[in-house]
Amino acid sequence: MAKKALFTLTLNGEDTEVATAPDATLLETLRDGLGVLSPKRGCNQGVCGACTVLIDGLPVRACLTLTARCEGHDLRTMEGMNSDPVMATLQRHMVESGGVQCGFCTSGMLLSARNLLAETPRPSRETVKSALSGNLCRCTGYRTIVDAVCNAAEELTP
Amino acid sequence: MTQVLFPDTLDQAVALLADHPEARPIAGGATLVAMRNAGLVDSSHLISLDRIAGLRGIERLADGRLRVGAMTRHADTAGSDLLTGSLMVVRKAAGMIANKVVRNMGTMGGSVANADPAADYLPALACADAVLSFLGPEGARDVPILDYVQDWYETALEPGEILTAITLPAPEAAASTYRKIARVSGDYATASCAMALTADGQGLRVAIGACGPGPIRDRDAEAALHGHLHDAGAVAEFAAALVALADPVDDVRGSAEYRLALIPRLITLVLAELNPVMEAA
Repeated sequence: MAKKALFTLTLNGEDTEVATAPDATLLETLRDGLGVLSPKRGCNQGVCGACTVLIDGLPVRACLTLTARCEGHDLRTMEGMNSDPVMATLQRHMVESGGVQCGFCTSGMLLSARNLLAETPRPSRETVKSALSGNLCRCTGYRTIVDAVCNAAEELTP
Repeated sequence: MTQVLFPDTLDQAVALLADHPEARPIAGGATLVAMRNAGLVDSSHLISLDRIAGLRGIERLADGRLRVGAMTRHADTAGSDLLTGSLMVVRKAAGMIANKVVRNMGTMGGSVANADPAADYLPALACADAVLSFLGPEGARDVPILDYVQDWYETALEPGEILTAITLPAPEAAASTYRKIARVSGDYATASCAMALTADGQGLRVAIGACGPGPIRDRDAEAALHGHLHDAGAVAEFAAALVALADPVDDVRGSAEYRLALIPRLITLVLAELNPVMEAA
């Protein structure tokens, strides 16, 4: 049995201890070690964006991030966004616009969109497309997702 | 079982690399961790450069040159106000790498060290006449960007050495930009073109990417073109010189033939983009 390493992570505001392989990715640690399942394992190559999480507020790929380098940083997944009103608005518009079908890309889409609205409260459609270009969706054709983010921005910053 | 080590200084990192010759330095992880996930790398140790002070960010040196720390993320390079004029090409290239999320992770040092022929920095840095700084057991040394790539994925960076910084000449009053042809937004380049047009509108610096093991640049052809930028025949001759130096492969992004056809078109396209910028300035 391979020897595990013990890490202390600040996950969704709480200090969390986890034992994983020393070179485990954050995605492996979250899903397989901690049962935090909102980040999805799509390509595991950094292409699809389904594993997107926030580190110190910035969206990154959990599948390309070594757990070891996350100690001392603020980690956020969708599980930690329940009290965020901006996220609640984004989620509601995703549902209303039909931006959610199978749901596999949704966590990553929402975290990328949340970061966009933090930086640019009233983005143009083109800016939304660009900000979400690293999140692949195989169901919706994207239009409804872009609609959702634009509508949420309009509601939040009239 | 791969151990991850976090040296605090570059000297410690070099010493660790000497102690574990099969170890790999890791920067932002955007490529190396993907390769690990695909089962393509299995080294005993990863030596993370993450906690070494002084490797992040762009600083202006006393003589006006700019020093980009190897761990500077693409997002920071893409947003740097220090990269102006002749160095705008580096800023533009940084902003076209992959997508916004990956640009929060990947670093200039990691990308350059990996030396993917289709990646965006190498042609931009070749156009900007960058110098790479290495630190190894024998000490520090500098390598000009055009001497860096030696063959496909083979570079002047020796085992045991770490790429520490990329130094750019002081920005000149010039117009410069980077353009790539890619299948979809965020993909690696099928072919790319980094170009700087001097302030007098007479001189060009051009580097072509993704059409050989390393960026393609021909200073003699640039000198011959000087003062003849509005002569379509001279520009075509210049493009033909770069095509002659290209050694592209057939791959999923395009055939070698297609890439060769793109080179002159890219040069014409980017020149047409820069000329009005210069005339307006």
